[in-house]
Amino acid sequence: MKNKKSTMKSLIFAFILLFLGSGLMPGEERISNVRYEIWVELDDENKKLYGKEHITWFNTTQDEVQEMWFHLYYNAFKNEKSTAIQESGEETFGPLGISVKEGEWGWIDVTDIKLADGTDLKPTMEFVTRDEPVHPGDQTVMRIRFPEPVKPGEDVHLQLEFNSRIPRTILRSGYYKNSYFIAQWFPKPGVYEEGKGWNCHEYHLSSEFFSDFADFTVHITVPEYFVVGASGKQIEAVPDKANEAVTYSFRQKNIHDFAWTADPDFIKVERDFIADEEVSRTEYEEIARKLRLPVEEVKLPDVKMILLIEPEHKAQIDRHFKALKAAIKYYGLWYGPYPYETVTMVDPPFRTGSGGMEYPTLFTAGTAILASKKVLSPEMVIIHEFGHGYWYGLCANNEFEEAWLDEGINTYSTGKVSAKAYGKGTLPISINRIPLAWFFKLPEYFDHETDRAVAIHVVKLDPITAYSWKFFNRGSYALNVYMRASTCLNTLERLVGEETMLRILRTFHMSFRYKHPHTQDFVDVVNEVTGRDLSWFFEELFYKTLNYDYGVSSLKSREKKKYVRGIFDVDGKKEEYTAKKISEMVKKEKKSDENRLYITEVKVRRFGESRVRGDVTIKLKVVFEDGAEEIRFWRGQERWKKFTFEKPSKVKYAQVDPDNIWLIDSNLANNSLKRKSSKKGILKLTTQLLCFIQNYLHFLGTLT
Amino acid sequence: MSILRVFEQGFQTANRRLRMTVYLWLINFIFSVLIVTPIYFLINREYSRSLAAEHITGGMDLLWLGDIIYKYQDIFPALVGWFLIPGILFSLLSIYLNGGIIGRIVAQNEKMSLANFFGDCGKYFFRFFRVFLISLLGYLIVFGVIFSIVSALLKIWTKNASSEWPLIFSSNIKFLVLVLLFSIVRMFFDYVRVRLVVENSKKAVRATLLNFSFIGKHFFRAWALYLLVGLVTVILAVIYLAVYQPLPKLGFMLLVAFIWQQAYMLSKMWTKILFFSTEYHFIQAHRPSLS
Repeated sequence: MKNKKSTMKSLIFAFILLFLGSGLMPGEERISNVRYEIWVELDDENKKLYGKEHITWFNTTQDEVQEMWFHLYYNAFKNEKSTAIQESGEETFGPLGISVKEGEWGWIDVTDIKLADGTDLKPTMEFVTRDEPVHPGDQTVMRIRFPEPVKPGEDVHLQLEFNSRIPRTILRSGYYKNSYFIAQWFPKPGVYEEGKGWNCHEYHLSSEFFSDFADFTVHITVPEYFVVGASGKQIEAVPDKANEAVTYSFRQKNIHDFAWTADPDFIKVERDFIADEEVSRTEYEEIARKLRLPVEEVKLPDVKMILLIEPEHKAQIDRHFKALKAAIKYYGLWYGPYPYETVTMVDPPFRTGSGGMEYPTLFTAGTAILASKKVLSPEMVIIHEFGHGYWYGLCANNEFEEAWLDEGINTYSTGKVSAKAYGKGTLPISINRIPLAWFFKLPEYFDHETDRAVAIHVVKLDPITAYSWKFFNRGSYALNVYMRASTCLNTLERLVGEETMLRILRTFHMSFRYKHPHTQDFVDVVNEVTGRDLSWFFEELFYKTLNYDYGVSSLKSREKKKYVRGIFDVDGKKEEYTAKKISEMVKKEKKSDENRLYITEVKVRRFGESRVRGDVTIKLKVVFEDGAEEIRFWRGQERWKKFTFEKPSKVKYAQVDPDNIWLIDSNLANNSLKRKSSKKGILKLTTQLLCFIQNYLHFLGTLT
Repeated sequence: MSILRVFEQGFQTANRRLRMTVYLWLINFIFSVLIVTPIYFLINREYSRSLAAEHITGGMDLLWLGDIIYKYQDIFPALVGWFLIPGILFSLLSIYLNGGIIGRIVAQNEKMSLANFFGDCGKYFFRFFRVFLISLLGYLIVFGVIFSIVSALLKIWTKNASSEWPLIFSSNIKFLVLVLLFSIVRMFFDYVRVRLVVENSKKAVRATLLNFSFIGKHFFRAWALYLLVGLVTVILAVIYLAVYQPLPKLGFMLLVAFIWQQAYMLSKMWTKILFFSTEYHFIQAHRPSLS
């Protein structure tokens, strides 16, 4: 008995030690396998950062890990040998390349790296370039070797020192004058994948990022005239009167990156998202019903919203908060409650090129001084970048390898949230930075419409699932992973129904929150939630470059003839039915219109290479002049199929996909075919075109 | 004579030449129809039997627009050519028509007829063509040199800007400078053309050189008059848009919208005549200053 008690005590003690050692309390699930404490000082005059970094990395895999790979992203801006700049030189899509002026390069040097016991690891440091095609001079990935492997369940403590030169904004991060947006700035380990090793890609022109979840404590020392914002929650601000500096400390658990900004001109505004004021009981009940969850499970927490805004945009403070509230509300209700205490929204400092980018618990928006309320800017960018807190922030896919998982899902989600909160937006057209929406009624649109209008153009260039830097060009990358993926998801929504889609995304999000999901995980969730095998949908539309296009190719109605010409056996005799004879016979019968029958033939074609599979069929709706309707289904595997109808009326039109499910269809116009042509719409378009040409010619006349 | 009085005289002359307005509109209309017709048939062939075409009646349909761009993306260069080549031809035609316009303004006591209008067109074409070539040099100097200097100066200002405001001001100042410079160059060569007709001269270079002295003497009055007519075109455009935008573009109202569009085009032709007629009267008012 005594022995038993003693054993039990020992076990409990060992258990407590185990959890304390890992920083976890009993019952607490490990989310982060990295812990950072960083001290960084901004040298405003020389545009430099001086940092110290303590990293604790927990080996949560079953592998013995002998080395560690780090991202040194700032070296992307070090010289023209960097992968990003080399890729920029090869870029064929518009003026989106990197152009660095002299004196504006950026870099990062790890000046010291050692284990907690003092073992110097610097001699083992080497740069690695593994991504294809190889760019040998790139220095954005560094490898170090441990003297002893880190065994499964063990951790390793590293102490680093680094200096870096902040680039004049090139990509996302940098400075302009004394405004800073600092992202991808500290040495950051890649993600160790069991059995595969370190997943640590170079900084590519067309790619975002991938990291492990971590607990961050960051102390930022800046001259006292700066206003600072950062990921996480500010825990203290300690002034240093002697050096006219302030050290701001921020802490945040369970995030996988840390960004900060400093600008003397920022106006800092804080407001609260109070869930009980923003969401009604009815809304909770409705969403709970749709998600088939208890109401308590969909309840939202309050969130502290922090806005850092440039003084010239002060008039738009309310617009920023309204959009952020809508985003917190709908992302929260639909996909899962926002789990952090704060969210910081940064109006990017002028010319820091940092607008419209996401970081955990912090994102950059972007607006203009002259902004029309009809144009949903900055609203869309706020919704989108906050949304990345879910798709990238919490569901932390590998953006190097499967960017669509965050960009595509988030573009889809942005469209849904903005449509719900604002309805249609007006086309954002400005001349000389003056919005034309102030003077003219410009076309209005939903996000999914613009997404689809551009998505169909890049289907044949690349699969959505290509590695980010391996797309045909940046245009193909952006349009495929954002717009085409979003259009495919909108198609999926129409195919499975809005509520089911909601459950798919909720399930996917909550299942992979704080994890690194892959495309297959998403497909599995789709199949699980729908109870159908829709893997083919992804094979056809995500993994391949096949154009989807079904349509009606021909349509005709002819009167069914009772008599036809030729020789017939009548009462044992050969009798010839001539046209004249038939005509006389018909006259005799005095056939009325009611008795006429028409044969209608509809040919449906698969114009594209992509085809539907599984339990999905192509729906054909045929409408007749008497108002009758016929519905047919086609499996859609062959190139074409003929449908024949015998009806008392001629056909009016035939339409495939009458429910407008297949938004990704590259030719919606051929989905329908009328028997009679109509000038409706075409005349309107032509008169507008005519007027445009008249004005164009008149203008040319004024030049002569 | 005050420029308002000159404006009034030009206004009366332009109104006496309403038939010419119709000629110009008709030529513009026919030329435009020739450009649009193949496109109409193309769209009609592809879309007249599709339900999608009916969506266009409800405003701009981005789904349909995406379709059409996707479908015709390979023939875009050909389409650009289709707009560009007639554009060049129409520019030549405009040089030709300017002769008729100014000729009939100067011959204001003569009766307006197609024969004498086109007679003047032919009579002055080559002179005006030479003026056009010289004007290209003028545009090159003004936009290639003066405008570039203005842009460079503004760039110095905006290069180190700390906010968006200087960019807003700079881009709008640039636009304003562009418009004003354009108006000056255009006005200058308008006066050259009118001189050639008034003096029945064939010497385009001489008329251009002499015009420097004329414009130099009366620059601000001439320019004010020119901008006044320019203001009329702006007012007409505002009126057109204010009426056109809220018009429903369906059924019978589509016809009304079309008529309104053409009324606006007529007004543009009229203002073209107004420009020349005010310039003619301005020259007449300063006749002793000529040469």
